[in-house]
Amino acid sequence: MARFRNKRKVAFVRPMAKKQQQQQSVDHVTGDKIPRSFVFARVKLPGPLKQLQTDLRKLTLPYTALKLKEKKRNNLKDFLNVAGPMGVTHFLMLSKTETAPYLRVARTPQGPTLTFKIHEYSLAVDVVRSQLRPRCPKDLFKNSPLIVLSGFGTGEQHLKLTTIMFQNIFPAIDINTVKLSSCQRIVLLNYDKEKKLIDFRHYSVRLQPVGVSRRIRKFVQNHQVPDLRSLQDVSDFVTKAGYGSESEADDEAATVSLPSDLGRVNRASTKSAVKLQEIGPRMTLQLIKIEEGLCSGGVIFNEYGMAILQNQAEYDLFFYFH
Amino acid sequence: MAEETQMQEVGKAPSKRKLGHKTGSNKSKKKSKVFHGGTREKVRKMDPRMKKLFRKRARDYNSDDEEDEERELEAAPVIRRQEKERSREKVRHGKGQKHEEDKVFDEKSSDEEGEDGDEGVAGEENEVSEDEDGEMQPGITRFAEGCKAFRMAFKKITKKSGSDDVLGPVLSAHKKLVVEKLAEEEEERKVKGDAKKEKHVVKEKGHVKPENFLDSHEKFLIGVATKGVYAFHMCIIGLAVVKLFNAVNKAQNAQKGLNPSRSKDAKALYSSNGCQHCVLTLPVISKRRKEAFFSELGKAPFQSADVTTKAGASTDGDGPAWAPLRDNYMLTNSKLKDWDKLPEAPAADDTGVPSDSSSDDD
Repeated sequence: MARFRNKRKVAFVRPMAKKQQQQQSVDHVTGDKIPRSFVFARVKLPGPLKQLQTDLRKLTLPYTALKLKEKKRNNLKDFLNVAGPMGVTHFLMLSKTETAPYLRVARTPQGPTLTFKIHEYSLAVDVVRSQLRPRCPKDLFKNSPLIVLSGFGTGEQHLKLTTIMFQNIFPAIDINTVKLSSCQRIVLLNYDKEKKLIDFRHYSVRLQPVGVSRRIRKFVQNHQVPDLRSLQDVSDFVTKAGYGSESEADDEAATVSLPSDLGRVNRASTKSAVKLQEIGPRMTLQLIKIEEGLCSGGVIFNEYGMAILQNQAEYDLFFYFH
Repeated sequence: MAEETQMQEVGKAPSKRKLGHKTGSNKSKKKSKVFHGGTREKVRKMDPRMKKLFRKRARDYNSDDEEDEERELEAAPVIRRQEKERSREKVRHGKGQKHEEDKVFDEKSSDEEGEDGDEGVAGEENEVSEDEDGEMQPGITRFAEGCKAFRMAFKKITKKSGSDDVLGPVLSAHKKLVVEKLAEEEEERKVKGDAKKEKHVVKEKGHVKPENFLDSHEKFLIGVATKGVYAFHMCIIGLAVVKLFNAVNKAQNAQKGLNPSRSKDAKALYSSNGCQHCVLTLPVISKRRKEAFFSELGKAPFQSADVTTKAGASTDGDGPAWAPLRDNYMLTNSKLKDWDKLPEAPAADDTGVPSDSSSDDD
């Protein structure tokens, strides 16, 4: 029986929900190809890593398969076969050895593949638990995140490749048409030159009106009747400054003036402060290998020596194609 | 041996029968005393050795030591043989003794062997008959039968080995065994627990729970994300959320006057897609607006140069220094066909100093 079953190998990959919306592979405003991604595992993962997988899927929303089902017998080819028709451009693969978990980021049809060793990771749940007031607005995951890459400008080719790879996972932003209300999340990759580690963080963006006292801001935001017991007059509520936190004082650089209204509180042409709050997952990655193909092919870069291909033109070629 | 452990347990719980036995033993002892007092001349005839033996047995019986009892039991057949030759008195004495033995047997038999059950009854009957009147004859005969049965039962018991029991007998000699077993079990459990723990450690490898407060590194990262610079290798666009928002503001304000036909514009943008590679996966901007946008962004790295450790290599106002950003990138380049045959091999990136590689890229 098993023999028969093996013969017709069908990839058990559930198609993405909301076909009508997602099937369009080109952004209707900019005409860009929208990158999509699959996040899946190559081996059987233990519980926390499975959770990390779902977290990464949420992170790559909306252009991802959130409920991607995989079976033990699904190999890379199955995913690749499905990826073509669905317009999936990137694979994020989690795997695990005895030493550490690994994350592989690959461009689909032909590679390249970047292999990261995950030194440390925290799940979104852990991050939320560590916070006093976790924040999760409804439409947080409706738009793709901005990606912020920092510290990669050391001039090394593999870092350049890494930045390009991560930029292309998420759709490009057209600065002329983008709605600032859709910029809700940020993925930060910060490269630490000394340790050669990449800090991977995921934040939510919040805008706060600046120049208003805390009390009034809270009053406007919360719709709650303020406590006026300690005040002599109603005007005290407005005029009394109250205490301000230290983070509010030094945020001169973090203020923005908005071109359009952003919600009820943040009106156009008023100054707003940008506040970031972490929403997991959190990872500390180390780039250990870059392969030419999709999990195969020549090794372009290897952290542990033996960099085989050091050809400048090869990188150029890659830049051209992606 | 296993039977004996059971026997002990049963012995703890008081049973009616046992109580009866106890009273019986007391009675028999009294009786024996009475007999001693009553018929002196016959007592004198008793073998002193035997007397000593009996006394010893009585003493042993009263002290609740099992091992002694056992020893006593082994000696039982010999006694019986001697008794047959002795007078009634002696028999009587012996009977007292026998009773004691009976009791021991009884306890055993009541616990496990059904066949010994009637034997115990016989012993009791003996007792009763003794108490009621002085007639001993039927008692003796029954007693002899009982003894035989007891011997058989006892032999049966001794033939059995208790090795199949898990814990082993609770005899003092074997107490060590039990302790050993328990220790072994404990160790097993410990090993199991260790294995489980190890497995858990492997599962949780790399999993770190974040602290409740923001440490300096996290604060730094948030700072970077908020106002930091996205430094790309060549085309430096210092842009972060704030910068992006402000840039969007500028661009959209500038755009208000232009009001281009969207679809046409988009097409034009798509062809000049060089800008895809700039850091924020920024914008696809039309040619004429790109200049303005870059000049806006170009200020960024100098403003916030303190945040990143970026090396110089700044953009010029008129066009991006990095080749892929130029509009004609790769379009006029014919050398790409045989890129793999190119002899040039830049300095090894990983071994070389970062500043080195950046310089040869320039």
